[in-house]
Amino acid sequence: MTKWPNDAMPASTSDLDLLRRYEPIISFTKGEQFYPSDVERYVQECSLWSHHPDGHDELIIREGQLSIERLIEQRPAPFGTVYYLRFIEPLSLAAAAEVLNDQARLRQRTKNYFHAGLGRLARGGLLPRVLDALFTISFLLRGRVPAASAAAAELDYFHLRAQKDEFIYYGRVVRQNGWIVLQYWYFYCYNSWRSGFNGVNDHEADWEMAAIYLYEENDYVAPEWVAYASHDFHGDDLRRRWDDTEQLDFDHGHPIIYSGAGSHASYFRPGEYQAEANPDMPWWVRRVSKVWNKLWIDALGQQKNDPFRIPFVDFARGDGLSVGHGQPKAWTPEMIDESTPWVSQYRGLWGLFARDPVSGENAPAGPMYNRDGSPRGAWYDPLGFAGLDKVPPPPAALSLLDENAKEIQERQQQLDELIPQKAADLQGLGMKLRGMEGSPHLAKQHALLEKRLNALGDEVRNLRREQSENIALLHGLTEEKKRLSQGIKDDPRAHIAHIAMPVKMAQLRFDRVGQAWAAFSLSLLLFGIVALMLLDPGHLLAELTIVTLVFITLEAFLRGAFVQTLGRITALLAMVSSIILVLHFGFWVIVGGLLAMALFLLLQRMREMSG
Amino acid sequence: MQKRKKKWTKRPPALTIVALSIGLLFLIRLYQVIDPLMHSGILQNGVTGPLMVDSHLTPLGETMFTSISYLLLSLAGLVVLVAFLRMQRWSWVVLMGWTAISLMITLVNYFYGEPNYLVMASNVIIALALNQAEVQRIFGIRIDEDDYDQMAE
Repeated sequence: MTKWPNDAMPASTSDLDLLRRYEPIISFTKGEQFYPSDVERYVQECSLWSHHPDGHDELIIREGQLSIERLIEQRPAPFGTVYYLRFIEPLSLAAAAEVLNDQARLRQRTKNYFHAGLGRLARGGLLPRVLDALFTISFLLRGRVPAASAAAAELDYFHLRAQKDEFIYYGRVVRQNGWIVLQYWYFYCYNSWRSGFNGVNDHEADWEMAAIYLYEENDYVAPEWVAYASHDFHGDDLRRRWDDTEQLDFDHGHPIIYSGAGSHASYFRPGEYQAEANPDMPWWVRRVSKVWNKLWIDALGQQKNDPFRIPFVDFARGDGLSVGHGQPKAWTPEMIDESTPWVSQYRGLWGLFARDPVSGENAPAGPMYNRDGSPRGAWYDPLGFAGLDKVPPPPAALSLLDENAKEIQERQQQLDELIPQKAADLQGLGMKLRGMEGSPHLAKQHALLEKRLNALGDEVRNLRREQSENIALLHGLTEEKKRLSQGIKDDPRAHIAHIAMPVKMAQLRFDRVGQAWAAFSLSLLLFGIVALMLLDPGHLLAELTIVTLVFITLEAFLRGAFVQTLGRITALLAMVSSIILVLHFGFWVIVGGLLAMALFLLLQRMREMSG
Repeated sequence: MQKRKKKWTKRPPALTIVALSIGLLFLIRLYQVIDPLMHSGILQNGVTGPLMVDSHLTPLGETMFTSISYLLLSLAGLVVLVAFLRMQRWSWVVLMGWTAISLMITLVNYFYGEPNYLVMASNVIIALALNQAEVQRIFGIRIDEDDYDQMAE
């Protein structure tokens, strides 16, 4: 009788039961306002709009009249038209104030508060905070979701839950290249990362996905990999092996997803993640920064840091509501595939099209499509999504290894015959060439033969190299086969190039004063500059330098980085001084350099001779 | 009786360069102590006039004050040098702070037309040597990722 691995299921298990057996548990952060919900009820609460290429928006179906059937109706439109849903209608000033008031009362009633703890601003230096301020100001120019929308969405979602407290995932089962892929799609009415948790963006509607990869062997199916969609990570970096218990948490055989507060990004480990936004900089700024970094790190021995990164914290603490098997709230699964009408026939956005050119505030499209209506990679290539397109399922690995080994062995046999033949030909040519030497009338033939000899020599050398490489390759394949046959697995994280890790507490050494300083310092600096401009414009440059230095020093003290800052400032001053010295004593710098080099070489040679 | 072996920690060349530069600066400062004393004849004749008149320094008093200040600076430099050679963390911080201030003063003086290239060059050498990753690690200034791991444990 075949021994089943842990967590295996009979191969005859239905798709829905497979989905149910491995469905992940989602552990949210306290303060989270939106949970995976039902698209049908959401659609009924929305209106349908189209944004035309000439810039105007047209209401197609009013709120309360929309249904899935009406959503998927085909509507021919010119190129560049964007269809989108609108969950929250535009609010007047009075309505916005009322909504914000209601939101505060709701939070008081449900006691669902979020505490940021160690603030995000204190996690970056002065320059990242300047960029952060510019990023915040950029929302005045970019399209964005209005501030009261998040509050209104929270209230509407609360009412939806009050009618039916259901937590839904949309499950899809795909069989590809020997793998059985279980996809879990989660729909959230709203992404409140910016408004609720000081994150990068807000948008109506949010689609997240997790996938579990099973293989079939004999009469059972067993899980091998888990992949969660996450910010900034792609391919191999998204997946973890089922037996990697250092990276994966389980509860009764169900993997746990730690969901980012507001962003709903999925993490393997609980904690606070430093998600960093890299704002687009002009090419010349990037180039100057690259040269500067090279000089700063390589020549001056300073530590690497990217001043253009704005720190945003994704709180995935897992201290809030948990949904899943054996948790306070259970899942209601719904199967989807290409035949599900709203999946394949609605290519528009699932929430407000905020006209944000960098897309951060625009709602996403459905599971099958990107925002521009093109097919979504995670849907049509679920293996490539997690970098598994190149990985065979474990039972196929052995036979693939055998096939590879057989192919190489056959080639080795060919080489065993071919190399002596070619080597003998080479020797024959060598002898012929020697026979021609000393006969000037054979110069032309000699040159031709020499060319042939060189080509044959190269060929023999390449064949020998191939033979030698094949021996090493065969050895590797044999070892791998031996390990696989014995059930020994390799490092579960060997495929990962970049791993998302929560920020270590030892790296967050700042107190309340530091946080307050981080929050207010920039405004204080601007107030100071304005005061100097008004009170003493005559000495502005000198005073600005002094004020900036005072701010940098204070910042350094409060962040506990005085020593590092001191080193950086001194390095900077030394650089300026070096430039002055080179400009004044260029000739003597060269003379000194040559003298030093001569002395160094002399010492080296003396040591060599005496040693 | 067995002789106790003295344990020597190998100093990186950058440390020796810094020590030599401090030595050079010490000699420059010593010159700045002695030179005014020689010019005003204090070394040869002793203090021959009053140092203060009506709570203001006389030229002789100013010379004495400058020389004493430089002397104190030189002596403090010697103390730091000893601590530096013993690889004390505080000596790195003091020396770096000192170098930063000195560089700032030399730069300001340069832009006001009073350059002191020798002091500037010595400071540049000290600053660059102190900023070496190896030197920073020896003095416990640089903390790498691995050290954070140990701290967390």
